[in-house]
Amino acid sequence: MIRPAQLKTTVRAGLKANFGLSVLRHRLFREKKDRWLVPVVGLAVAGVLPALYGWVLVIKGMYEVLAPMGQERALLSLGILAGQSLILLFGIFYVIAAFYFSRDLEMLVPLPLRPAEVMTSKFAVIVINEYLTVAALVLPVVVTYGAVAKPGLGYWANAVLVYLAMPVIPLAAVSVAVVVLMRLINISRKKDALILAGSILLIVLALALQIALGKSAGGQGPAAEARAVAAFFTSPDSLLNRIGAVFPPGIWATKALAGGFGREGLANLALFLGVSAAVFVMMVAAAERLFYRGLVGLGETTGKKRRLTRDEMSRRVSSGRRAVAAIFAREWKIMNRTPIFLLNGILVVILFPALFILMTTIDPAQGGGEGDSMFLLRALTSANPLIVILATALFMVVCGSLNGTSSSAFSREGAQFWVSQVVPVPPREQVRAKFLHSYLVAVLGVVTAGIVSAVFLHLRAAHLAAAAGLALVAGVLLTAVGMIIDLARPLLDWANPQKAIKQNLNVLLAMLADIAILTALFFGVKAMMGAGWADPVVLAVLFLALAALAAGGYGALLGFADKRYPEIES
Amino acid sequence: MIELIQVSKSYNKGKVRAVDDLTLTVEPGEIFGFLGPNGAGKTTTIKMIVGLLRPDTGRVSVEGFDVAREPLAAKQVTTYVPDTPAVYERLTGLEYLNFIGDVYGVQREARLERIGKWLEIFELSAAVANPIQSYSHGMKQKIVLTAALLPGPRVMVLDEPLVGLDPRAAHQIKEMFREHCDEGKTLFFSTHIMEVAEKLCDRIGIIHKGRLVASGTMEELRALDRREHSLEDIFLEVTGR
Repeated sequence: MIRPAQLKTTVRAGLKANFGLSVLRHRLFREKKDRWLVPVVGLAVAGVLPALYGWVLVIKGMYEVLAPMGQERALLSLGILAGQSLILLFGIFYVIAAFYFSRDLEMLVPLPLRPAEVMTSKFAVIVINEYLTVAALVLPVVVTYGAVAKPGLGYWANAVLVYLAMPVIPLAAVSVAVVVLMRLINISRKKDALILAGSILLIVLALALQIALGKSAGGQGPAAEARAVAAFFTSPDSLLNRIGAVFPPGIWATKALAGGFGREGLANLALFLGVSAAVFVMMVAAAERLFYRGLVGLGETTGKKRRLTRDEMSRRVSSGRRAVAAIFAREWKIMNRTPIFLLNGILVVILFPALFILMTTIDPAQGGGEGDSMFLLRALTSANPLIVILATALFMVVCGSLNGTSSSAFSREGAQFWVSQVVPVPPREQVRAKFLHSYLVAVLGVVTAGIVSAVFLHLRAAHLAAAAGLALVAGVLLTAVGMIIDLARPLLDWANPQKAIKQNLNVLLAMLADIAILTALFFGVKAMMGAGWADPVVLAVLFLALAALAAGGYGALLGFADKRYPEIES
Repeated sequence: MIELIQVSKSYNKGKVRAVDDLTLTVEPGEIFGFLGPNGAGKTTTIKMIVGLLRPDTGRVSVEGFDVAREPLAAKQVTTYVPDTPAVYERLTGLEYLNFIGDVYGVQREARLERIGKWLEIFELSAAVANPIQSYSHGMKQKIVLTAALLPGPRVMVLDEPLVGLDPRAAHQIKEMFREHCDEGKTLFFSTHIMEVAEKLCDRIGIIHKGRLVASGTMEELRALDRREHSLEDIFLEVTGR
């Protein structure tokens, strides 16, 4: 079905194009343009190291608790399942963008390649992306377990194979679902709306699946709970079997690792790799039949060919808006009409609070209603009012500002950036319009988070208002920081809109910068509380400090725009 | 009027000299055709005129405004059509034209009149309410041209404007070029079509390896050697066959 030589060439080209190794090499060593990125990335990695170390300590602690009860292998299973869940969720975005929205498809489809070969090359690119996405989550588990348990060479050898095969089952499953979905969508004329609705549906299904898994991994009533607790102390691996029962490949992968070169290890490895291969073959078969049918013609939008009447034309021709308003409207329309941008930008700020509601209201033991986590949150939020306000503000900031809208504000223009450079509008005015757009998305996040906090945590109005005030000022600062980072090095030469927002290094750098700012603020507040300052004073100082930083950040952004716009070569 | 004085631009830390000491003046009311082999420096020159690239040395001015020092004044009188019609595909044609009208500050009456006229000429009236994404390559080229004409610019700079156009549209564009310059405005365009340059341009410049190797009216170019040559022969001659 797949010809190895053609597949090899297509995969190689796909990897080179996607990871831009040739371009990076050229820019680093020939043009010597991006050399400043090396220390910045180094610094970012160094910044993440303490968090990684903390994660390793947590894993080690869990191992030490589980090992005496013979349950330590459940740790591996949890790590692998968490990795695969993440792959499933991220995979939906990656698969839709890579399979259906990369511009190189226009070049690949006319080549004498089979649909399955083209799709497999895209699949390979996503698999490698997923290795990077889940590395920070899964590798510390596997390595820490290996370092503590000292299971021998077989563990490490099998770990490499299991890690390499880990994304295949969830990604292939997502791919089949997406290919079928696109085949259906391609029949319709309202493709963009359906792609959006379909993506949300897949995400909701993936979330529902995980909640269902969580439920069945939990108890089914008090008797079952009691039996599970008894088994936990008496039978080794009972926890592993309980977690893995909902997704058997998780058990196979764990047993393959822990069993090493022994019979159990090799048998489970064969089972895991065999099932991965089988699922992959199923995906290839689906690709061969359905991929091109969903793809070809997807980009076609058949507008109604209708001449506007003189009146309609007169109504629709604008009577002259200010440049800021015109640019804001452009940003708003392009963001909302590009499914990938909308999913990653605006929908994230709505999805995040929604996820919060899901996680806190569904309790495994009760099968719905209000759970232990909600009770715990209520208890926490009824304690110290200062903590309540700060925690709510943090929640609002996370919902509003930690998305890629501001840090891809310039990158999203892509090949069209020339328009912004030739129009007679001062850069600072253009940036002002872009800022307004990004900030509006942040405000949307603050509002949705505020509604969730008010409805589910029953916060007092005064606390909510104080938290919103802090979050709105912090939003100005974080939006400005995100935009400065993107303006410093906008990613304009993308062929796939996913690259502008999801695979854009600027988005990651901005998130790290945001985390650094929030951490600094945390220590500032801690110091003030430690010094015994009254709560209103702490809040006032924090608000004023944030306002000063926000004003400085916004000013810096406008100044940087004047300097940077003429330098960017598009 | 466009003026380039001793303009140079290099890439790769000076290793690739794209434009080398270029001095050129395009007078008001003139159609200037810019020719040269692939990679000769045409697009780099054009991008420096419209402010998309900064020259390493030298000065570029449009209607007397220094592009580097008074960029907004220069941009206000210039419009540009790039070689590939990369425009906002998620906007409708009319939304894009409105956007351009707004940022150039075109009055409503002028906007209505020019949009109506050029949409009619380019046969885009029936498609203008549809997303640009649904347009063919030629239609995208036409909407970019309409947008460039909308502000009624003093100077138009076009990079390969005839590529992808059907014969009728190409004919209309050429007529528009003449009409534009008859009003005393300036038009600078690059092309590979010798016949168009020969028939349409008041003056022609030929760039090769970043240097202006020939410039003048058709007669002046023919006078470069004594034989009765076509522009194609002259082009091949000065660019080294």
